[in-house]
Amino acid sequence: MPPIIQIQNLTKKFGNLAAVDHLDLEIEEGEIFGLLGPNGAGKTTAILMLATVIKPTEGTALVGGFDIRKSPDKVRGLLGIAFQEPKMLWVATPWDVVNWHAKVCGLSTEERKRRVKQVLETVDMWEPRHKNVHALSGGMRKRVEMAKVLIQRPKIAIVDEPTTQIDVVGKHKIWNMLLELRDEGSTIILATNELYEADRLSDRVGIMHRGKLLVCDTPKTLKDSILGGDIIDIQLEKDASPTIVEELKSFKEVVDIMQVKPTNLRLYLNRVEEVVPQIMNLLMKKNVPVNSIRMSEPSLDDVFAHYTGLTIEEAQKDEG
Amino acid sequence: MSAILHIIEYDVRNFFRYKWWLVGLISMNLADLFIMAIVYNQMLSSDVMKEIGSYFNFFAPGLAVTGLFASAFMIGREVNMERRREVHHYMLSLPMTRMELAIGRVLSGGMRGMIYMSPLLLTCFIFLRFPTIWQLLVILAVLFLLAMGISGLSIAIAVSTSSLEKFITARGLVYYTLFFCSSVFYPLSLIEGLGKDGKFPMVLVTLAEVNPLSGASDMIRSFLLVGYPPFSYASILNVVVFSAVFTFSAAFAYIKIIERK
Ligand SMILES: Nc1ncnc2c1ncn2[C@@H]1O[C@H](COP(=O)(O)OP(=O)(O)OP(=O)(O)O)[C@@H](O)[C@H]1O
Ligand SMILES: [Mg+2]
Repeated sequence: MPPIIQIQNLTKKFGNLAAVDHLDLEIEEGEIFGLLGPNGAGKTTAILMLATVIKPTEGTALVGGFDIRKSPDKVRGLLGIAFQEPKMLWVATPWDVVNWHAKVCGLSTEERKRRVKQVLETVDMWEPRHKNVHALSGGMRKRVEMAKVLIQRPKIAIVDEPTTQIDVVGKHKIWNMLLELRDEGSTIILATNELYEADRLSDRVGIMHRGKLLVCDTPKTLKDSILGGDIIDIQLEKDASPTIVEELKSFKEVVDIMQVKPTNLRLYLNRVEEVVPQIMNLLMKKNVPVNSIRMSEPSLDDVFAHYTGLTIEEAQKDEG
Repeated sequence: MSAILHIIEYDVRNFFRYKWWLVGLISMNLADLFIMAIVYNQMLSSDVMKEIGSYFNFFAPGLAVTGLFASAFMIGREVNMERRREVHHYMLSLPMTRMELAIGRVLSGGMRGMIYMSPLLLTCFIFLRFPTIWQLLVILAVLFLLAMGISGLSIAIAVSTSSLEKFITARGLVYYTLFFCSSVFYPLSLIEGLGKDGKFPMVLVTLAEVNPLSGASDMIRSFLLVGYPPFSYASILNVVVFSAVFTFSAAFAYIKIIERK
């Protein structure tokens, strides 16, 4: 089966800034594809191009076999989108928004009656369904935005940061709904800057940075690709001196060191059990007091750091 | 086709969300009519009064056209606001063609104009006289075309202005040019007379003559007022041309400009 979405050389420039920079990417039918990247990576811009809302500067994409440039009408028939910023008139009510959306997407009157209630209940928005949108909280608006996709059950669902502003219980609910939606046969593109969310839901993850795709694979393969395979975080009492960093690097098991903060070092290494005592000895001998030491498994954050040399937080600050 | 109906439903429903505001506006319009009639009947020269009989009778049809203009123009404000809040991204992502979306918007602007105008038109009928069925159909058809043209004009302006202030300024300019140079508030003969005497630029006189608002107001008057020049198809022609031009330029502008960003 050919991929349901084939993005080819897709580029969008705003003035001199390439928000999406020659992006090539394939998304398989029936998967949840996590598009992970810090603020300003170009996720939303890529999504808006796929949705035929904005026109690419260069390149194109095939969605369900239809070219977004040549047959945008066909493409729109396959897509359902929950936007990052809820797109609804402030004078509307959640019920109106979801009901009208269902109508436009061709649900019959009978089905609509039943499903609008059901969907608004699942996102906990049945109670305030007749409130004006402007009287809802940010998280509530996000829930209504999500309800549009849930009621539509599109062939391809695009959700742009679906759980930002949503509380923990709500997050878990939405994650389960996305998994259900996939199990019912939808392909899902999940744009997010939350590593945990991408890790937990995605069948495959693509990491974007500055408009480019850095890597793309299953979360497991990506994490396994981290050199060393083990990580320890050492928090020192004082700032780590360059000589200490150099000395730590000289262990042959230590693959890489990131100075996350002046006092915090993150070591990527092999055979952690053997090396940690040696490291402790070295630090004691050099009279470098240690506050804490913690071992962990690599996360997508480490994958991101590995490919960009920045933690996600740093990359976000960079953009801001 | 059903997509167009959905868009109309969306816009007409949004229109009714402001129903109390609209009721207020309509009441104000009607109050204006009565007040202006009393004041102007005293102020106007006897020559003019001889021609129009009573200012109330003359202005009532003009007022209906004024109301139609203002309410059909409201769609532009919403389109402009949608763009600033990026709600148009949602509209553009819906499963329908751009043409359906654009035509739907222009049509709904027109329908909203008709809805708002109907109590004003009814006032004309009650105080002047009721038209025949055939006359009524002509009136409604012509006014609907006019409303579409106005709606189209407002959408074209809305998508080509970036901020609300610019939109409102443009609306003011259009509004005053079109109403000043028309037979909505005073008979065309008055402007033509001033033009001949060199007191009024001839370009503006010509504008008043071809202005679809003049055509529409005078059409209603020709049906409802005794002794008014009879109805002529030529006056309708201006309305048809205006409507066609702006309906399509709006659709075109909407499609072209809205996707740019
Ligand atoms: N309409 C626009 N005009 C100019 N620049 C834009 C526009 N939209 C986006 N950009 C720029 O393009 C870049 C990518 O933005 P985009 O919204 O796609 O990022 P993102 O990955 O979705 O980020 P976030 O996680 O914050 O949502 C940013 O630098 C942004 O400033
Ligand atoms: Mg975004």
